Amino acid sequence: MKRLFSSGLFSSIVTPVLISGFFIVLAASAQAAAPIAKIQEMLAKPPVLCGRFDQAKQLMGIKKPLLSNGRFCVVSGKGVLWRTLQPFPNTLRLKRDEIVQMQGDRVAMRLDAKQEPVVRMINSVMFSLVAGDLSQLESLFDMDGSIQGSTWKVALKARQPALAKAIGTLTLTGGTTVKSVTINEASGDRTEITFSGVQSGVNAMTSEEGAALD
Amino acid sequence: MWIWLLVVGLILSHNAYLWLVQKVVPDTDILALLPVEQRDPVLQQAFTHMVDSAQQRVIVLVGADDWAQARAAADAYSAVLIKHPALFEATAPMSEQAQTDWLGPSQQNRLSLLTAEQQKLLQEKPPAFWVESALRQLYSPFSGPKLGAWQDDPFGLFTGWVQARAQETPVRPRDGYLFVEANGRQYVMLLLTLRQPAFSMANQQAVLPLLNVAAKAAKLTVPKVELISAGVILHAGAASAQASAEMSTIGVGSLLGIVLLMWLTFGAFRPVGLIVLSIAIGCLGAFSICWLIFGRVHLLTLVFGASLIGVAQDYGIYFLCSRAGSDKSLPSHQLLRRLLPGLLLTLTAAVIGYIGLALTPFPGLRQMAVFSVLGLVFAWLTVICWFPTLVQPSTLKGTRFADWCGASRHHWPLFQRNFGTLLVAILFGVFVVTGLTRLRVNDDIRSLQSPPKVLLDDQIKLSKILDAPTPVQFYLVRGDSAEQVLQREEALRLRLDPLIAQHVISGYQAMSSWTPSMQAQIANRVLVERALLGKDGPLKALAAQLGEDQSWIKQMRERALGAATQVGTNTSTLTPDAFLKTPASEPSRHLWLGRVEGVHGVTFASIVALRGLNNYANLPLLQKTASHLDGVQWVDKVSEISTVLGDYRQYMGSVLLGAYVAIFLLLFGRYRFAGWRVVLPPAIASIGVLALLGIIGQPLQMFHMLALMLILGLGVDYGIFLQEKTDHQDPAGRFAWLAVCLSAVSALLSFGLLALSSTPPLHAFGFTMLVGIAIVWLIAPCFSQSKNSRL
Repeated sequence: MKRLFSSGLFSSIVTPVLISGFFIVLAASAQAAAPIAKIQEMLAKPPVLCGRFDQAKQLMGIKKPLLSNGRFCVVSGKGVLWRTLQPFPNTLRLKRDEIVQMQGDRVAMRLDAKQEPVVRMINSVMFSLVAGDLSQLESLFDMDGSIQGSTWKVALKARQPALAKAIGTLTLTGGTTVKSVTINEASGDRTEITFSGVQSGVNAMTSEEGAALD
Repeated sequence: MWIWLLVVGLILSHNAYLWLVQKVVPDTDILALLPVEQRDPVLQQAFTHMVDSAQQRVIVLVGADDWAQARAAADAYSAVLIKHPALFEATAPMSEQAQTDWLGPSQQNRLSLLTAEQQKLLQEKPPAFWVESALRQLYSPFSGPKLGAWQDDPFGLFTGWVQARAQETPVRPRDGYLFVEANGRQYVMLLLTLRQPAFSMANQQAVLPLLNVAAKAAKLTVPKVELISAGVILHAGAASAQASAEMSTIGVGSLLGIVLLMWLTFGAFRPVGLIVLSIAIGCLGAFSICWLIFGRVHLLTLVFGASLIGVAQDYGIYFLCSRAGSDKSLPSHQLLRRLLPGLLLTLTAAVIGYIGLALTPFPGLRQMAVFSVLGLVFAWLTVICWFPTLVQPSTLKGTRFADWCGASRHHWPLFQRNFGTLLVAILFGVFVVTGLTRLRVNDDIRSLQSPPKVLLDDQIKLSKILDAPTPVQFYLVRGDSAEQVLQREEALRLRLDPLIAQHVISGYQAMSSWTPSMQAQIANRVLVERALLGKDGPLKALAAQLGEDQSWIKQMRERALGAATQVGTNTSTLTPDAFLKTPASEPSRHLWLGRVEGVHGVTFASIVALRGLNNYANLPLLQKTASHLDGVQWVDKVSEISTVLGDYRQYMGSVLLGAYVAIFLLLFGRYRFAGWRVVLPPAIASIGVLALLGIIGQPLQMFHMLALMLILGLGVDYGIFLQEKTDHQDPAGRFAWLAVCLSAVSALLSFGLLALSSTPPLHAFGFTMLVGIAIVWLIAPCFSQSKNSRL
């Protein structure tokens, strides 16, 4: 009863989810601040968005970067699917009330909103992002954007010190869709994700992907 | 006369000093009512720790459909309270420092912390399993919650442990608020801490209206807001409000009735004042002396003692009726001399009746005995010393009503050995047997409370949403050292884990979850070293996969080992004492009692609290779980209190029986065998009430017993008044019967009306008085001696 859990733990739960959500989510990013509002106008906001991602992690204590790639899908109002194909098959699925990580057919991790109320909040943040409504994000992040021709760049910094400490800073670049996400964690670990082959519309998603999100 | 004025002056000033200067508060600790040898200081501390800390809190959940609305409503609610720093403690927002160092000590000792499931995996899984899981985490976009750098927790053990801790509560910080989500609604949790005791009536009257204002403000901001509140003060306030509302209704009603009655009888209002005066002096004198003897007075003593002193009304009534019925030429002081034997006898009988309570081993009953006996003596002395002066022959004039009432005695049939008596006795016998065989007993404290349904509903909702531990049932763990306590907790937890799987409980809170015993810490460390850090273990395979060399392995190994308790040195930071200094320990602070001065010297103790315990049928199972575990005790405060009440009820029952015998022996000195005529009416009335309770299905409680004591006290008085022989010139028979009628009707009005109360204890007491006194009053004249009877 009392102050049960501090933001330290909270952010540790939120951070990875937010991070994993961001690049996708920012496919439809929007903000109130002047450049941010413009950036939001530049972004397309399709109901379905799929494509390939390449991820490079540079961790403290490991010399070589860890490379992985896979496919992602964002369906407005339904959720997010993040499938790593190489080197280790792994599927991450975010739905309204749960976050599930699958390894093959095995559920490696499940965060349930009933158990972890934060889940629903995280997902609602992400869905609102997809819908192009960034008011939720604004309560968590300071945003600083700049535009050069048809491309833009946004730096996000968490407002809460504890969250900032866990996430560090996020940088997004893109045009009509998000091109890259860079995460610089306070611990020195760094992740860079780039998107390619982004498609929208009915045929963007395989039937398998559609089933996973239903 | 003047001496008594001095005494009363002393009493009044002492009372004024106690109440107004020292602001004394009666004890409310129910454990103080237990016999000294049954008291357990450690247990008492545990209760204090668990319950009393909760007494000062009020929890309010402010819920809305979306977070922004919930916050707006919560802000509106808080804004009202923040203006009253004298009533509510401000809750300090968590400092940034606290937020960042939140898990510091645990993180520094992470190698010593494992969940039960992790221990199992480490014992069973091959190295390949760990290599794979480490790699998956490395490559996965979302490896679950992550704390700190990857290299500090390559196998995700610490993260898993923190997640397990996070499961202990659904409440999370969010935007600087405490947040909990349930049934699709978002709630802000407000924790209010009261500055004044929850049981203080003044505090209740200040706080509760404010909470209503705050609730209105929240509703004004967000019309659809849902407010769920819980706190001891809400219950206490509801109970006091109910009791005081009833008391004022019933009290005013009974006072009006008594005033009217006295006026009808004496044609004056002064007698009422005199009788109230004598009883008030009795209560205040008793309180003074009790405070001097015991150094404290328990609330129960005060309430019950004051009721028992009610018998003292008879002394005044008896005198006043005699005065009204006597010749005007007889001075009051001479009249008193005539009445003195009877008055002395009634006092002695009541004192004997109550003094038996002092022979029980229970401090509460002893205090009650001393209090009520003192009260009777003080009230009696007030009548003896002051009434003759204050009531002159001309003060009272007998009214026609008084004459009629006094004369009505002749209409009563006298008890004789005839067929009619036999028939009545047989009928009564059947009634008694039927009733007594059906009489049940219920000492459950829960049956004594009748909180408003809204409060109960809120409390149930709140405990469901917060999945909070129950403060009244828990395990108390003791040992000779902190280490031993933690080890015993761990043994207990091994037994509790299966109960979670069986859904008997949803979880538990224990200090050893946060700071395992040194023994467990060492075992955890050894386990991790053996399974993960060994020469050809997962770390080596992982290095090969990542293209790292021997020096990397060495560095990772050292990094991990650095995060372990340095066994054998004093640098361990993972002890309860150290943990309690961190902000993360705040939710667990009520669990650790630490060093306690026990009966057998110093012990260490802690509490293991249970969550999700909502089926009371499981209590025996939980009790059994503690059996055969050294130093573990199942504590159920509800049943403890019920047991105390049950013991008190039984002792009072024995005292009551003893009192009948003792009073009969006392009366023997004056009336010889005719004494049975005095004690039989209250005995019959008491048996009749018990039988009636059995027939209407009301279970017997301590409060019925208390009323039976009072019935004995009053009933014996009636018998004595009616037995007192006075010369034939005196309309003695008349005024004695008038006194009985007045006393009985006053008792019915003052105590009997409590039967209308919806507070169960008051109702039980009032109902017993109502029926019992009515019976005594109606049958007492039947047992008068006829001129030719010899018994």
